[in-house]
Amino acid sequence: MAEKALNKIIEIENLSHRFADGTVGLEAINLSISEGAFVVIAGRNGSGKTTLLRHLNGLLLPTKGVVKLSGVPVAKNLTWSRQMVGMVFQDADSQIVGETVSDDVAFGPENLCLDRAEVKRRVVRALETVGLHHYKDQKPHLLSGGEKRRLAIAGILAMEPKILVFDEPFSSLDYPGVKQVLAQMVSLHQAGHTILVAAHDLEKLIAHTDRLVIMQDGGIVRDGLPSQLFGDLEAFGIREPCASRWGMEVHSWLN
Amino acid sequence: MAELNVLGFHAGSSVLHQLDVRFKLIFLVVISLTSLNAFVPSLSLLTLVLMVSLIHAGLPLKMALKDLRYVFLLLLFVFIARSLSVPGSPVVEFKAVSVTREGLYEGVIVCWRLVIVIMTGLSFVLTTRSSEIKAAVEWMLKPFPWIPAKRIATMMSLVVRFIPIIFEQAKKTMEAQRARGVEDRKNPAYRLKMLGIPLMRRIFERADKLVLAMEARCYSENRTDSRLSSGFKDWIALIGVVCLCLIIIL
Repeated sequence: MAEKALNKIIEIENLSHRFADGTVGLEAINLSISEGAFVVIAGRNGSGKTTLLRHLNGLLLPTKGVVKLSGVPVAKNLTWSRQMVGMVFQDADSQIVGETVSDDVAFGPENLCLDRAEVKRRVVRALETVGLHHYKDQKPHLLSGGEKRRLAIAGILAMEPKILVFDEPFSSLDYPGVKQVLAQMVSLHQAGHTILVAAHDLEKLIAHTDRLVIMQDGGIVRDGLPSQLFGDLEAFGIREPCASRWGMEVHSWLN
Repeated sequence: MAELNVLGFHAGSSVLHQLDVRFKLIFLVVISLTSLNAFVPSLSLLTLVLMVSLIHAGLPLKMALKDLRYVFLLLLFVFIARSLSVPGSPVVEFKAVSVTREGLYEGVIVCWRLVIVIMTGLSFVLTTRSSEIKAAVEWMLKPFPWIPAKRIATMMSLVVRFIPIIFEQAKKTMEAQRARGVEDRKNPAYRLKMLGIPLMRRIFERADKLVLAMEARCYSENRTDSRLSSGFKDWIALIGVVCLCLIIIL
């Protein structure tokens, strides 16, 4: 039991969030995620997915309740929490701050006040991991959609996080872009990262995930194995994967 | 984003890329001021030197000319205004308006000087990362402890970084409005209002997203900044630029 508790990398206890105008963002969320898990958080627009994810690295702080990473409350050390939880935003363009690809990847390590040699080592490693090393001097806005998303991933990998959080990672990507990003996510999961993905379209990634959490109106309404929840999806505004509708096994988009 | 690609850093290994940003800032000021006192022979010399430097630095000439087309339009206005306003021997006369020989000469000289300033600025922006500009600004503001140097430097580097994005946003907004027939409305105040309000809203929304993304990557004012280091090359370049300017002035 003690070992099991140690494996919980994210623990959310009774989390509620109210925005400044009084709108309820989250209501009494309880959720634990094991190290190395690949979890999808699904729900229609406005269900609270992004709000929940933003509590994981302290971009939003709870009105009530607590979020813990490896047993340590997020609010206790925001810099450490943000280093631990790398977040890839829905709009990759807004996430890019550097003038060249390598400058952008260096942004995070520079914020951690690492020395130049270490920053350079991390930049090279992160770009090699996402396969963008040959674009290191390229201007980021000249990259394709999929490459921009991979650059955003490299930007957070350079901070060496344990948990990677993706907010609608496939939005406005073409088919090759989706495959590039999905392959990257799967490979990072296989490398031992804990992956959390907020999505309203499960089709593209559900074959690779081992847990599905469904949200509605700021609360968790379902939590379990994806295959067991397919029948409930449409009731919560989420489209059931095509293969499942036809009674077939869901296959990876990477095959 | 095909627009304004030229207004930003282009990675490279030219001499200009290797020079210390503080020296480049000095060159920018000195050459710009010198050009104000230059005439045809010295302007030709400056143009030649700057053109060689820009090509060596890897300026995509065709793209630069395309991106700067509106600047050329501005120069045309300056030229016309000068041609019409300087008194002298008339070349063309039409009622009370006359284009003078002296006016044409003045117009060419003023526009040429502005082109020199633009080329100098371009060679600076093209070969300098905004993080280096930030470090140089911080260094220059160091003697004034009451000025928040780091904050000002960060704001400046972000402005440089986001100018092309603002233009891109303006272009998108204009296209969307053209698609809905805004060109049928002839009132410029109405059109400016219809462009300005959504554009400002989008820019602020984008700025909000940027703040979140920066916070998520642990942004703080205390970070590993670009190292400023001057060497033999910088001093040689400084002597070269000072000599060039002295030749022009004297």
